[in-house]
Amino acid sequence: MSAMNGMSVLITRRLLQLPLVLGLILTITFALLWIIPGNPMENEGRRPSAEVAEAMRRQYQLDQPGAFLAQYAARASGIAWIAGAHPVPFDLGPSMRHPDWSVNEIIAAGLPVSATIGLGAIAIALIVGSIAGVIGGLRPGSWSDGATQALALVGISVPSFVTGSLLLVLLAAKLRLVPIGGWGTPAHALLPMLTLSLPFAAYIARLLRFGLADQMQTHYVRTAMAKGLSRREAAVRHALKNAFLPVLSYLGPATAIAMTGSFVVEKVFAVPGLGRHFVDGVLGKDITLVMGVVLVYAALLVLLNLLVDILYAWIDPRIEIAARPQ
Amino acid sequence: MRWTAWIVGALVLVVLFVWEWNGGAHRADVRVASADVFTLDPQRMTYMQDLRVARALFEGLCWSDPDTDDVVEGVAESWTISSDGRTYTFHLRPDARWSNGDPLTAEDFKEAWRRLLLPDLAADYSELLFPVSGARAFFAWRAEQLEAYAKSERHSAEAAQSLWHETVARFDSTVGIEATDAHTLVVRLEQPVPYWLDVCGFQTLSPVHRPTLERFSRIDPQTAMLRTEPGWTKPGVLVCNGAMRLVDWKYKRSMLLEPNPMYRGAHPAQARSVEIVPIEDASTAVLAYESGSIDWVSDLTAEFRAELVNAGRNDVHVLPAFGTDFWSFNCRPTMPDGRFNPFADARVRRAFALAVDKQALVQSVTRLHEPIATTLVPPGSIAGYESPAGLPFDLAAARAELAAAGWKDRNADGLVENAEGEAFPPVEMLFMTGNPRVRGIASALAAMWRDGLGVQCEVRSKDGKFAKEDLRAGNFMIARGGWYGDYLDPTTFLDLSRTGNGNNDRGFSDARFDALLADAERATDAAQRMRLLSDAERLIMEEQMPILPLCRYVTLYMYDPDRLRGIVRTPRLDQRLQRLHMSGDSGEGATP
Repeated sequence: MSAMNGMSVLITRRLLQLPLVLGLILTITFALLWIIPGNPMENEGRRPSAEVAEAMRRQYQLDQPGAFLAQYAARASGIAWIAGAHPVPFDLGPSMRHPDWSVNEIIAAGLPVSATIGLGAIAIALIVGSIAGVIGGLRPGSWSDGATQALALVGISVPSFVTGSLLLVLLAAKLRLVPIGGWGTPAHALLPMLTLSLPFAAYIARLLRFGLADQMQTHYVRTAMAKGLSRREAAVRHALKNAFLPVLSYLGPATAIAMTGSFVVEKVFAVPGLGRHFVDGVLGKDITLVMGVVLVYAALLVLLNLLVDILYAWIDPRIEIAARPQ
Repeated sequence: MRWTAWIVGALVLVVLFVWEWNGGAHRADVRVASADVFTLDPQRMTYMQDLRVARALFEGLCWSDPDTDDVVEGVAESWTISSDGRTYTFHLRPDARWSNGDPLTAEDFKEAWRRLLLPDLAADYSELLFPVSGARAFFAWRAEQLEAYAKSERHSAEAAQSLWHETVARFDSTVGIEATDAHTLVVRLEQPVPYWLDVCGFQTLSPVHRPTLERFSRIDPQTAMLRTEPGWTKPGVLVCNGAMRLVDWKYKRSMLLEPNPMYRGAHPAQARSVEIVPIEDASTAVLAYESGSIDWVSDLTAEFRAELVNAGRNDVHVLPAFGTDFWSFNCRPTMPDGRFNPFADARVRRAFALAVDKQALVQSVTRLHEPIATTLVPPGSIAGYESPAGLPFDLAAARAELAAAGWKDRNADGLVENAEGEAFPPVEMLFMTGNPRVRGIASALAAMWRDGLGVQCEVRSKDGKFAKEDLRAGNFMIARGGWYGDYLDPTTFLDLSRTGNGNNDRGFSDARFDALLADAERATDAAQRMRLLSDAERLIMEEQMPILPLCRYVTLYMYDPDRLRGIVRTPRLDQRLQRLHMSGDSGEGATP
């Protein structure tokens, strides 16, 4: 009963904090964007005459940062909608560089793509990383441990534009197993998922390997083995559950990072995901787009961390949830 | 392991769910890899890839035939020009239709041109209409009114609306654009503009479907500006009048065009369907082409060019474009921080220009063998225009010019000094990061000037936005530039050097040059006008040298000429997507 109470207190507290966190992040992001020189309506090479340039600045109230931020916050939060001042709730405004698209539309188009790749990558990483971690953790110091650790080191160290390009040349260009670039069929997603999963898989393998090796030394596992369980059975039935906890806390932010898009992977495979839109937005000083994506990213991060905490309590009842510092 | 299975299972379910949400894929007849399209609102377009799509979706009053550069009929089936060259009367095809079947009228053009002239829209190409009588004044008036409104306290829907009505009335009464009946559009210019028909063929002057636009437009009470909601250019909503229509458009993912069955113009579509796939990564684009999923790579970035071009393949095409690659000299009297600027002296600018071996640059630095340039306007691109010779590569002459400006090697240290013995200040060369081609050119230029003239150069690359700030502030001695022409007239290049021009990064100002351009504006005889413009270019390309031209820009295409048909190869590279087709399926009713 007390656990359930603790849980609802945690959830309520986190959800109440959310608007505060988002408001703070929004203000900082806006300030940073403001410092960057340049005008989002300008493009390379050609520059309009002074009168046209002035009109461009005024079009989005770029001459009044305070008013701009206040209006943006009111519309994005839905306050303007509640007050009846704006027809749509949670309106993140039009993109400054792509006037034909609203930021809501861009996020709605990009997030599912990035989320598909990200979740797929995390799923692959969990399977591959767990297997590699268990192999290493069962027999620390063995040749199989050395091999999986070496592979994991490669997975963490090699940047994804290298592995991505390599996979692209090998599997797509040479063997023609999958299409190159674009989006739309499961085959399009395979290589980006694989590429993105590698560093996560490697990290999970390392976390699990060290966690498992530690747990195998504990008294309860030794007792289990003394009672007749094989090393493998003791690991799977008892040690793994505790060894998995660090992986679980890593999964929260990792899933958020993977889901909101890896710019490099999306660019190499020409995937229309949120990560690419975000970086393009920063480079083009698309203020509304960048702020919108940052908001979504921050909200996802907070919610996924909350989810991890809930899962924690489920897996390990020893953890008194409300008492945990956040 | 129970919980691992749970988590993996949940993730797989979510992936599958999201998959459904993402929908399926198309395979169009012709697939084009292109830079991403920014907007399909014709009045707001700037980028080449946007204008290319607009040429398929929209049709203006007339247009330039890409093969001959002659102006041919578009929506207007004929036109007359008054004897003073200032009044154009366009007669529209009575059977012209929008893609939804609505009749296309002169009012649709008038509304589009009014949009282009509204500061509310922040259209990059508003200036194209400034030659129309009253247009510039109208733009300025509306901008003033909006500014006054923003500062005033009376922000209300009624006040904003009444300002809008006043604006429309003012446009009707002061700007020389008039729809005298449903099929006649009369345009009055301030002065005769010899290239006016070419301007009328430009995509930003395309008509708009008024009922659609009206649904998506509102007057914002906060700013009193006309706002167009993003949405009117989406598939299923956008009503167009070109040879093709928009079937599908997913943000940074794909765009699908198919022939517009309502189009009854002179040049129906030969293409069955064209898909535009934005691929920004050059190697991915090339791999996609190699694997057959792309038929035409429409613009390759610099790093890939030389390797592909020099491989001697028949599907890699290097085409000279209507643009010039150049570097700018800072002509302001001093640097922004008050330091001495040696390039304020035209003799120094000439010396630096004479010391550049452009042939060596295109052979061993860019390795693309671009045609080298000694003038700003690409020679031979404009009928009736004779380009001046410009300055050659001549080291002896370069050193003589520098000596005449007072810079000589007085202490035999290999560097030049002035009469007081002070060394030539280190030459600050500015360019944007991220382009290997420009970096190579910058290093080569620095070496040529160091070895040839005895000056030290500092190569300084900056991120785009910072470089632009420096350019505007004049915080450089020499900076990378470049320009593509917008319309077929020398002024599209020469205006860059006018006093106060928005793109005059060099801060160049010369009364004689401005006077020659002004005389050319007033000239009634076409041949005499071209002579005046040629004199103006001679002044800046042989004597004043605010700009150091290096070479023509080239565009690189990848396509198999035996399979893909319909690509234009004339200088402006005005590609028309409606002409693209694979050999074998020639389409129906194909004309030139």
